[in-house]
Amino acid sequence: MSAAALQTQTMLKRLFAWKVRGVRWIEIIGVLLVAAMVFSVYLAKAAAAREGAQIASYERQIAENGQRVRLLRAEVARLEQPGRLEDLSRAAGLGPVDVHRQATEQNLPNLAPVPEPAPVAAPVVPAAPVPTEPAAPEDAPR
Amino acid sequence: MSVHDPHAWDRQIPPPRRDPGVRRFAPTWRWLAEGLWWVENAFNRARADARPEEDTRVRIFLILSVFSLVFVGLALGAANAALLKPKVGGALAASPDAVVRGDIVDRNGALLATNITHYGMYIDPAQVWDREAAIVQIKRALPRASTAKLRRVLFGERRLIVLPGLTPQEKAAVHDLALGGVTFEPEDRRVYPLNGSARHVLGMADTGGQGVTGAELAFNNQIREAGLAGEAFPLSIDLRIQGVVENELARAAVEQQAKGAVAIVSDVQTGEILAMASWPAEDGLNRATSAHYEMGSVFKTFTVAAGLDTGRADMNTLFDASKAFMIGNRRISDFHATNKVLTLEEVYLHSSNIGTSRLAVEMGPNTMREYFTRFGLLDAAPIELHESARPRRPTKWDDSTLASLSFGYGIMITPLQMTAAMNALTNGGLYRPLTLRKGGLPGVEPRRVVSEQTSMTLLDLMRRNVVRGSGGRAEAPGLRMGGKTGSANKLVNGRYDPSHAVGTFAGVFPADGPVGTRRYTVLVLVDEPGAYPKTGGFTSAPAVGRIADRIAPFLNVQRRDDPYRTALGDKVPQFEDVEGDGR
Repeated sequence: MSAAALQTQTMLKRLFAWKVRGVRWIEIIGVLLVAAMVFSVYLAKAAAAREGAQIASYERQIAENGQRVRLLRAEVARLEQPGRLEDLSRAAGLGPVDVHRQATEQNLPNLAPVPEPAPVAAPVVPAAPVPTEPAAPEDAPR
Repeated sequence: MSVHDPHAWDRQIPPPRRDPGVRRFAPTWRWLAEGLWWVENAFNRARADARPEEDTRVRIFLILSVFSLVFVGLALGAANAALLKPKVGGALAASPDAVVRGDIVDRNGALLATNITHYGMYIDPAQVWDREAAIVQIKRALPRASTAKLRRVLFGERRLIVLPGLTPQEKAAVHDLALGGVTFEPEDRRVYPLNGSARHVLGMADTGGQGVTGAELAFNNQIREAGLAGEAFPLSIDLRIQGVVENELARAAVEQQAKGAVAIVSDVQTGEILAMASWPAEDGLNRATSAHYEMGSVFKTFTVAAGLDTGRADMNTLFDASKAFMIGNRRISDFHATNKVLTLEEVYLHSSNIGTSRLAVEMGPNTMREYFTRFGLLDAAPIELHESARPRRPTKWDDSTLASLSFGYGIMITPLQMTAAMNALTNGGLYRPLTLRKGGLPGVEPRRVVSEQTSMTLLDLMRRNVVRGSGGRAEAPGLRMGGKTGSANKLVNGRYDPSHAVGTFAGVFPADGPVGTRRYTVLVLVDEPGAYPKTGGFTSAPAVGRIADRIAPFLNVQRRDDPYRTALGDKVPQFEDVEGDGR
């Protein structure tokens, strides 16, 4: 126990005795470490200040855009108000759809029956010779 | 040791002794005083012991440890503050979208009222170079600025406000002039982008951010709370329906050359108001909540409902309408005289004053008062709006009054009361307060007014009234519209004057289906129509039909056949045979 303490003491003494031009190395290292720390804190603070300024600028932009969005929403609401749209529609000759011209999804097959599948198949047949036609001029130069 | 030993004088100092002052301290403090004394005299002691290097080390060590302790404490505190403590500002910080008052939106989120930053324009005359030119330029950019006010400020001495409430566009226009001394200060303003639309429902808020009228006043606190949270406050209004109702009401009122008009659309199952319009919109008075009307025959619905619900009458009970009904000297006759004995159904369909008067007198004042109270006809309509006015109630309940009440005279109610009563009658018999809150009022126990059976019977009766009775013009193809017309003359100089009339139609659609079906009441009232005929079947019923026809798609009401009409509005032939039998 006391031997270990003695050894530590000697090591400490040696550490403190380690000098260059009369200046203890431990002090030089300490000063360097403190300088590094001060510099890094300065860097961190400067970066934080820059980011803080950027955040403030973004927040201001958000607020401004929020104001603009509110303004535009109000403008949209004004332009889309039903009374105005109805006046415009009536001026354009539009009006409520007569009940006889209204239909539900169930009525659609009766109103417009699905066309026969035959004419759908027909265009496939002429489609085949179409690519052969450009093939012919390609053959010609050869 | 030489005589000139420089340290000789040190040695003569006696060994450290306890300072007499130390003894004056209490024992608890003595150790501290002794410690201080020990440190103070460390040099002397060390020199005395010829170990001068030791005491310096002790001092350095002591100071080092004190400083280390302090710095370790600071470091721990800083680390704790930086890493472990919860953010204090986070919870308290307001939402980035916070405004003084939240937006008001309709049930689908369409904007009804919002806050927009406006600007007050200030001018500091000391910084203006050419004042006359400034007046001309500002006036050109901002025509509504008063020249007199501009001149007063520009030739004044201090910085003063010229005009508050500049819109952002106006601000930009003035700002672009690049005039010196002109500055702007933001101010929050309430804006109603729909101009006049729904203005009676919305009401107004003052520049201080407090509601003054309408929903702005009724929901003042909720709107402010929503604003702080950056949210919008939804009303039960559906802007699409509101637009249709306003346009159709204006059309009806203009066609009828009316003095005023009211329309209300509501959901009978929840009591939500889907649209409420008062014409003319420029008029500050909301006729739907604050105007009183004797509504005439619409009240026959309630009289008949009371008769059926008490069991006093059924559809086939007979009432003698062959001659006028005399109460004392008062003679009650029918507008469309039938001069025969009528069943209760015919009394309703022919809108017989004699029949309902007889029924009301038979039921007596207590029953009538009981049912009128149940239908909310004797109290202000329960709704959040502070404008909802109390009715003008009869002072005495004699037979003559009962007869008048049975067909809608002698009591003046607001259109909202009528809507609430019609809702109760058509939703299975439950009276619910009306509400402008989206989704209805939470936690309100509805009040039973009439039995489900009575409610269903009345619904069918109202439907038949549209198919065969006075409400034919309210028919909307396939929507199974039911309803009752009401036509009343107004009291002018103490006399009921036929040239001053009120035409009403209270409709409900769809009138068929089980009790819980989603139904909607449409009430249109035209006040003092200028054109003839002035009865509700002509003034108001067509507007109700058109409104229902146009709003049905928004409400997901499908067009369907019913026993009386096809989905396209054509007559069902079998029924016509029945009608041909002379019923």
